[in-house]
Amino acid sequence: MWSELFSRLTAVLRRRRPAIHQELDEEIQAHIDLRADDNIASGMSPDEARLEARRHFGNRLLVREQTRESWSFPSFESVLQDLRYGLRSIFRKPAFALAVILTIALGIGANTAIFSVVYAVLLRPLPYPAGERLLVLGESAGKAEGISVTWINFQHWRTENHTFEDMAGYTRADLTMTGQGEAQITHAAQVTAAFFPLTGARTQLGRVFTEDDDRVGAAGTVVLTHEFWNRVFHADPRALEATLMLNGQPYQVIGVLAPAHRVLVSKADYYLALGRTAAKTRDRGAHGSMRVLARMKPGITRAAAQANLDEILKRLALSDPGTEASHRASSEFLTESITGDVQRTLVILMGAAGLLLLIACANVASLLLVRSASRAREMAIRVAIGAGRLRVTRQILTENLTLSALGGVAGIALAVLCLQVLRSLAPSNLPRLAEVELDLPVLGFAAAATLLTGLLAGLAPVLAASKVDVSTALKDGAAGSGQGIGGQRMRSAIVVCEVAITLVLAFASGLLLRSLITAQSADPGFDSRGLLALELQLPSSAYPSIDHTRQFYARLEEDVRRIPGVTAAALVVCPPGAGDCGDWWYSPLDRPAPARNDVPLTLFTSVDPGYFQTMGIRLLAGREFTGQDRKGSSGVTILSDNVARRWWPTAQAALGQRIKFGGPYQEGGVLEVVGVVADVSQNGLDGDRDPQMYFPFAQETSRAAVVMMRTRGDAAALVPAVRQVVAAIDRNLPIQSLAPIEKQLGATLARRKFSTLLLSTFALLAIFLAALGIYGVLNYWVSLRHRELAVRMALGASRMRVTRWAGSYVLRLAAAGVLLGALGSWGASSWLAHMVYGVSSRSLVMLLAAVVVVILVSALAASLPVWRATRVDITSNLREA
Amino acid sequence: MSTVDDLPEAERLEFLQGTLEVLILKCLQMGANHAYGISQLLEQQSGNEFTVDNGSLYPALQRLLQRSWIAAEWKTSPNGRRARYYKLTPAGKKQLAVATSKWQRFALAMGRILAPEA
Repeated sequence: MWSELFSRLTAVLRRRRPAIHQELDEEIQAHIDLRADDNIASGMSPDEARLEARRHFGNRLLVREQTRESWSFPSFESVLQDLRYGLRSIFRKPAFALAVILTIALGIGANTAIFSVVYAVLLRPLPYPAGERLLVLGESAGKAEGISVTWINFQHWRTENHTFEDMAGYTRADLTMTGQGEAQITHAAQVTAAFFPLTGARTQLGRVFTEDDDRVGAAGTVVLTHEFWNRVFHADPRALEATLMLNGQPYQVIGVLAPAHRVLVSKADYYLALGRTAAKTRDRGAHGSMRVLARMKPGITRAAAQANLDEILKRLALSDPGTEASHRASSEFLTESITGDVQRTLVILMGAAGLLLLIACANVASLLLVRSASRAREMAIRVAIGAGRLRVTRQILTENLTLSALGGVAGIALAVLCLQVLRSLAPSNLPRLAEVELDLPVLGFAAAATLLTGLLAGLAPVLAASKVDVSTALKDGAAGSGQGIGGQRMRSAIVVCEVAITLVLAFASGLLLRSLITAQSADPGFDSRGLLALELQLPSSAYPSIDHTRQFYARLEEDVRRIPGVTAAALVVCPPGAGDCGDWWYSPLDRPAPARNDVPLTLFTSVDPGYFQTMGIRLLAGREFTGQDRKGSSGVTILSDNVARRWWPTAQAALGQRIKFGGPYQEGGVLEVVGVVADVSQNGLDGDRDPQMYFPFAQETSRAAVVMMRTRGDAAALVPAVRQVVAAIDRNLPIQSLAPIEKQLGATLARRKFSTLLLSTFALLAIFLAALGIYGVLNYWVSLRHRELAVRMALGASRMRVTRWAGSYVLRLAAAGVLLGALGSWGASSWLAHMVYGVSSRSLVMLLAAVVVVILVSALAASLPVWRATRVDITSNLREA
Repeated sequence: MSTVDDLPEAERLEFLQGTLEVLILKCLQMGANHAYGISQLLEQQSGNEFTVDNGSLYPALQRLLQRSWIAAEWKTSPNGRRARYYKLTPAGKKQLAVATSKWQRFALAMGRILAPEA
């Protein structure tokens, strides 16, 4: 009945209950008096009357209690009572409470911090409407997956599909902007009109593209990003009337986007309509670099959607055959394409944090067991007086949960601290890093973890206590619940588990540390000491032709070589460490033409004569490019060793061979191999050595290039001199970047360093906690056996004997733990396989090393209690207690 | 149940949940009364079949107060004693009517089923 509940609640809140109780007492007295009056009236003496009245009423106290209950919330109030009692007993032993709270805080803090990263990067839905249904579409040709989509294919996909709500094409381009101060390179994202509704982009000013803006022949329009609007127009609303000159063409500003996290086309300053230029093509096989963003209809699977697109391509292959005939669709969830490779690493880190929490739980359980042993008497008395076993159990559980809750709150505070540290240490290329924060789902996780910890750790003493016989517990000097066999076994099991988990963590972090060291000293294939890299991008307005570009770079290299300290300089378009700047098909002409699906791919770049010598890349056969290899002379190429060896037995045998760039089915010229060089890792120190084809810069010129300079001494010291040289040739040319290449190479290891640091920290913490745990358990074990030890020593056991006896107990536990941990490590090694470098994840040596570390730590932790065991005072312990 | 009287254990009638409250309401319909009076009235009117345990009566009275079906007031009894008198509220009167008709239907149905073969 709600009105009952409401009245009760009101009475509690308005503190009317004492008055109600008072009134009740008066009423009961009146009741008895009335009966007494009646008795007197029927002839009894006053004393008899009162006696009879009291007897007739019944148990006054009981009635009072039962009536008072109708104004209370019995279950709730008894929980409150448990809470108060629990808090009192916690504060009676502050050192113990502090130990428990700190241990829990450590476990919860670490887990919450890691989970907040995991949540922001992996779990939180993307900030796009129905982000989980967004796919990134590409084409696949034979072994090449995810290549660009042609415009005509895209149009057919868009209009003929039945599994998608809508699609948009997108690509990026760099354009020179003039008319707003100095000419500068700006980054454009070219998109079709549907892109904005698909990504849920909102405008702060103006509007976005319509289908009309997206057509061939439409006037040039541009939508600015918020950051660009701030930077160039200083947030002036009159920007809407402005016209931007991009690559010499006018574009009217029609809108400004609201500030938002942009994940899809990073570094974009503004958006242009893709259809204006792309729709001019008539060739279905003309690949640009467009990809397609598409949203599936609800309920459609990715496989079904991709099959739909494949159907469309198959139909087109019949009606419009050509180079595209064998191409099919490729698709990937947007979430995966953003976070794909980071996923496994984060999951492993989360697992490690979870293991740390388990150890913390184990330590806390152990502490609680010891504490409950010392309180066995108190509990037995309460049971003897009349508290039900359930009530006593509930009270213990409440107390433990309170401790755990306090630990959880402290853990969250610790997590806040850890997050600060994490954010400053994390590699900047960790996707969605900016979104990491302590928000509601993360706090919910922390609460759940705290509850689990409290239950797990708190159940140990409860389980042990249930085996206690009340009468034995009440006897003087008797062993309590924690001292019995049940408690001891549980503590031993706890130690075994801790040792096992510590071994797994030590093994994993050992592997990662070894990998990091190997990767840092890995040979990138060239000599990176003292190499300075200058990255430039020439605007097409100031350098309209290839000749202008070549002249500029030739002059730049001459001037740079004259700087004192610079011993050599050479150009490259895509330097090592820059990743994949472009790949294309190829086929050697002395073989039969490969099938459409089998044409091999290679990375390619252009370099200057003398590049390989400047970089310290070994020339294995043939020659470097020379001044003779220029525009108009026959096309030449230099191969990396892995390309040469793939087709010919030695590097020497590759010389003079001819290669068709583009393979039999795509465009490209025929090139003669004039040299073979050693492999270079394009993706950073721990990356693979990809196949690479080099072209002479004079034959394949590009406005964007990197000048590599070998310096004597400190490369960074020459930065100002280089700047001056550039400014002397062209004052308005912005420098994209100018830094020693070692810094950039080191940065490629950022992610590896990050995960290694985290895992090693967990391992160290685990070792620390496990050592504490072993120390605690052994200490207690010894203190329980003081008497036995005294007897043994009185009977003649030597110190050595005692040490062996105590030591064998620890050794047995540690051995069991090591065995368990070794099995666990073996199982975990397959998960770690993708994270290691230069060492096998099944390395027995590493496992052995971890075992040695764990055993040493256990021995160290056990040494003090064992030493204490040998120092037991015989006489005082043998006296009657 | 009752603690005092002369009825042997086996013959005491147990109160079903909620029945005591209906009976209290009916008592009060005859006029305002205090707790002692209500228990006396119940015993007499039921022909000494019901004996009321104060451990049930008092909580029932509190519950009725919480639902606002009765109201309480300290008054002086005819003998000059001060006692807490309860009386029916309009909501209580309505509730009594509803409960009475329900009980009558219930008793009728029970009687029909339990009646000896005609």
